Amino acid sequence: MVEEFVVVSDLQKSFNEHKAVDGVSFSVHKGEIFGLLGPNGAGKTTTIRMLSTVLVADGGEITIGGHSMQRESAAIRSIIGVCPQELALYDDLSALDNMVFFGRMAGMTGLEAKEQAMANLKLMGLVDRAKGKVAKFSGGMKRRINLAIALMGNPQLVFLDEPTVGIDPQSRNHIYENILGLQKKGMTILYTTHYMEEADRLCNRVAIMDGGKIIAMDTPHQLKSQIGPPEKVTLEEVFLRLTGRSLRD
Amino acid sequence: MKRALYITLNEVRLYLQDKGDLAFSLLLPIVTFALIYGAFGGRTLFEATARVVDEDGGAYATALVQRLDAADGISIETLTSSQAEDKLDRSDVLLVLYIPAGFSESLLSGGKSQLVFKQRGNGGQEGQILASIVRGVAEDMNQEFQVRADVAQNVEGKGVPEERIGVAVEKYLEEERQQPFVGVAEELVGGSADVINQYLPGIVTMYVLFALSLSARVIVEERRKGTLERLLTTRLSTGELFFGKFLAAVARGFVQTLILLGLSYAVFQMFTPLTFLESLLIILIFTAACSALGLIVASIARSEDAANWIGVVFTMFMVMLGGTFFQVTEDSILHTMGRVSINTYANDALRKVIAEGASLGDITIPLVVLGGVAVVGLIISRLVFRAVPGGK
Ligand SMILES: Nc1ncnc2c1ncn2[C@@H]1O[C@H](COP(=O)(O)OP(=O)(O)O)[C@@H](O)[C@H]1O
Ligand SMILES: [Mg+2]
Repeated sequence: MVEEFVVVSDLQKSFNEHKAVDGVSFSVHKGEIFGLLGPNGAGKTTTIRMLSTVLVADGGEITIGGHSMQRESAAIRSIIGVCPQELALYDDLSALDNMVFFGRMAGMTGLEAKEQAMANLKLMGLVDRAKGKVAKFSGGMKRRINLAIALMGNPQLVFLDEPTVGIDPQSRNHIYENILGLQKKGMTILYTTHYMEEADRLCNRVAIMDGGKIIAMDTPHQLKSQIGPPEKVTLEEVFLRLTGRSLRD
Repeated sequence: MKRALYITLNEVRLYLQDKGDLAFSLLLPIVTFALIYGAFGGRTLFEATARVVDEDGGAYATALVQRLDAADGISIETLTSSQAEDKLDRSDVLLVLYIPAGFSESLLSGGKSQLVFKQRGNGGQEGQILASIVRGVAEDMNQEFQVRADVAQNVEGKGVPEERIGVAVEKYLEEERQQPFVGVAEELVGGSADVINQYLPGIVTMYVLFALSLSARVIVEERRKGTLERLLTTRLSTGELFFGKFLAAVARGFVQTLILLGLSYAVFQMFTPLTFLESLLIILIFTAACSALGLIVASIARSEDAANWIGVVFTMFMVMLGGTFFQVTEDSILHTMGRVSINTYANDALRKVIAEGASLGDITIPLVVLGGVAVVGLIISRLVFRAVPGGK
């Protein structure tokens, strides 16, 4: 019997009459990498923002690690880490200072935060840039710092919202390896992307979103089997079949 | 609570990193201060140039001029008679001291002698002061002649040579000059220029307000960077975030004021230790009020531009109505309108403390008003404070 770490049911969120998230339900098992896939505007980020306690849902239920969002959002905040889609860094501070600051916010002491920051920087291949101002970093390096901050304080669940958007293949591979490493250490990961091949490679299970709704949910293998031999078709083609539209419309 | 302090520290650190912001909020007040200093400068003593026409040229005339020159703050310009006429004609100078021909000779022979002031009108304020200094010096010389004459009279017929009388009297007088029976010492007790007392409060409060409208922008900017939203996913509560930002704003306004007031204290000696502390307290309460208003702006402004504009317009209104650049006369419309500006209360209180040495008891009303704005502003800003639109 798998342990359900995240349980979401009938989640709703509208912005000025526009339903960004429209009755979304899914659950994430402990220790798995769960992918939320979908084109831009599908409602992935809005879902993550509600799950990470930033936005208040209009309707529906969220339970994370056994804590109810409505009543125990503080407890939820103490077990999650978030890598937002847009970079969220202090450009004027060094990589290390950024990480130590958010480490403290995650409840670590200064010393603990510093130690873990150095370890995470090593993981990201950025130890030699620890003292460098983030403003001077390349896009790929900033992305890696953005991800490394989400890991401060050893959260049980991390939200990675399109962590590889717009970066070079090398940084991208680095990030893939790290994510798989995190899973090995027992972290549960909720991953969003609009790159279908990325989801195929990383995720244990995926939910495909479109227009605020989940239109399919299963393992990548099962989803592909529905339209042909899994080793021959792509998730891209699954999406096309389901919506009649190409992802890159 | 500890996390709120980390927020404050981080904010202060970012503020120190942003050179432009730092320059604006610290250097500009110092530059302003330097300008004030240049304008109302630290001249605490009377300074003037005495124009002298020496038609005598004798020993006593020279002695008189030397003594005048030695007087504090007086410098001497010697003129010929025709130059003097000319300057007086053109009103270049309003008063000239004439030492008439025969001045020394007449004194030497034990006779009387007369100094003459030629002046336009009353000689001007400076001229009048100069004239009285000249009278003082002449009086001194008179007394010396008197002493010498008295001594000469007393020892008359005792075979004391005139030279020795002269030397002895001179020595005695010299001692007396070194250690006068009635000495006059100068002691600086504070505020020289009323003008500074008038303007400094307005300038200080203006900068505090400007700095705080900048902090509104800083929060909007942090929201745009996404770091504010990221903070909301950590253990930090919205309340702690708010409080941390509030403390940072207060700290920032306060540090700035400390620099300005500290400089004024050092240079103009316009405070006593007590009035200095009182002024800091006033500014602290004022800063708390402004910070709360700044957080309201930060919460309602959707863009940096909006934050800037609200901040600038708000600051201008408060500054203009706050009697920053001019003293508003009591029963004028502006005075009534000024009541809506929190600067008015801060400026009034500061002026009372600086200029009149008022105690806290004398400025209860402005302090209560400012404190009230701070408390109500804090409550309102906490209620409207949204780190993320549509969020908690
Ligand atoms: N803060 C907001 N205000 C108004 N509309 C929003 C806001 N955030 C998202 N939306 C809208 O909600 C929809 C879903 O957006 P989002 O969740 O960001 O999609 P995704 O992350 O899948 O690209 C989009 O149509 C977007 O324009
Ligand atoms: Mg998104």
